Amino acid sequence: MPKSLYILYESAAGFSLFYVENFESIASNTEEFQDALSEFVRFSKLAKLIAFSPFTTAETAFDNLSKLSEYEITANLSNFLDSNLPKVKEGKKPKYELGVFDHKLAAVIHEQLKLPATSSEKITEIIRNIRLHFERFVDHLRTSDVIKAQLGLAHAYSRSKVKYNVNRADTMVV
Amino acid sequence: GPKRGGMKGGSKVVIEPHRHAGVFVARGKEDALCTRNMVTGESVYGEKRVSVEVENPNDPLVKEKIEYRIWNPFRSKLAAAILGGVDNIHIKPGCKVLYLGAASGTTVSHVSDIIGADGIVYAVEFSQRSGRDLLNLAKRRTNIVPIIEDARYPARYRMLVGMVDVIFADVAQPDQARIVAINAHQFLKTGGHFVISIKANCVDSTVEPALVFAREVEKLKQENLRPIEQITLEPYERDHAVIVGVYRPTKKKSKVSNYEKESST
Repeated sequence: MPKSLYILYESAAGFSLFYVENFESIASNTEEFQDALSEFVRFSKLAKLIAFSPFTTAETAFDNLSKLSEYEITANLSNFLDSNLPKVKEGKKPKYELGVFDHKLAAVIHEQLKLPATSSEKITEIIRNIRLHFERFVDHLRTSDVIKAQLGLAHAYSRSKVKYNVNRADTMVV
Repeated sequence: GPKRGGMKGGSKVVIEPHRHAGVFVARGKEDALCTRNMVTGESVYGEKRVSVEVENPNDPLVKEKIEYRIWNPFRSKLAAAILGGVDNIHIKPGCKVLYLGAASGTTVSHVSDIIGADGIVYAVEFSQRSGRDLLNLAKRRTNIVPIIEDARYPARYRMLVGMVDVIFADVAQPDQARIVAINAHQFLKTGGHFVISIKANCVDSTVEPALVFAREVEKLKQENLRPIEQITLEPYERDHAVIVGVYRPTKKKSKVSNYEKESST
């Protein structure tokens, strides 16, 4: 029996979880089918948004990005997955798979959260299309909101990367 | 004081739109490429600015000042490519760009001018020193998303980047084609474009530049990045080429419309 597939999608706005129906048909991978995925009407029939948990503060967003970029699982992510994925009875094998961004993330989630995380080229393909259509899945979320979130988070993250010195920046000669 | 050369003095300069949308030519004593300054009154890297007065379309009695920044082809490979006659840069007003190898942001600032307030440029730079300048630039220009990270690991910045229309790359690394490919697979729209600057001796200094470029073209093709045109950057840069192409080229238009018909019934 084919397993059902969930997809974790992380954006600057928060975590979201998609449920993918008929994964087998997406897996057919023909070029024509891939073209069809880039149309929202068709893609949204295959992938359904089942949970979206926005980051409540800029600090939360920054903390999650910094840790996840080093493949460290945060409490936010762990809680999000725990409360939105189907429960698995002890001793039983899960009837679903959790598709994530890459192999390394899959391995860490598998090991630390004991969840059936996986990654593949086909999952990457679905995540590509979630990224393309993301704002249309979430009610009241506009493209400008997502860009605002990306901007705020990118500045915070990049400042931390250059060990930013405020005084130096203020005396910068342009 | 010392006489200032160049384009200062405004009134003698005429600005004309370039063939590429968002790019302009300042016609004065000498012609110069320029972009419309998003942050009036400020230069980014010491470049000259020129302003022209235009009539306000709503009130012909009121004159408006529009400022342009001169774009130096010796400082920017994209400018060199434009002056070299590249057919299409694909970077235009309102467009979303992923810029790999942003450095201090010299070219990024002009891309920011071109795409304007409706566009966005995700600017990736790994070096901390250049990164500081890039961050300061992004403070003044809200259409730049500064990302201080290694472009080899898109997983690290996946939360910061949306799907883009164009990838521009100037990373000067031997594995540049691979770097562009892994970013394209995640972030570049199907049918989107890439513009890559290749410095031959950064890839392989032991063979002829022409051979290096040919090999890079082959690597790109294998990743579904199909080159459309290639130009050299002489006389502005030596042994440099810019390759422009399309990612996952879509088949004939008629096929697409068949899909549209199908999905609407």
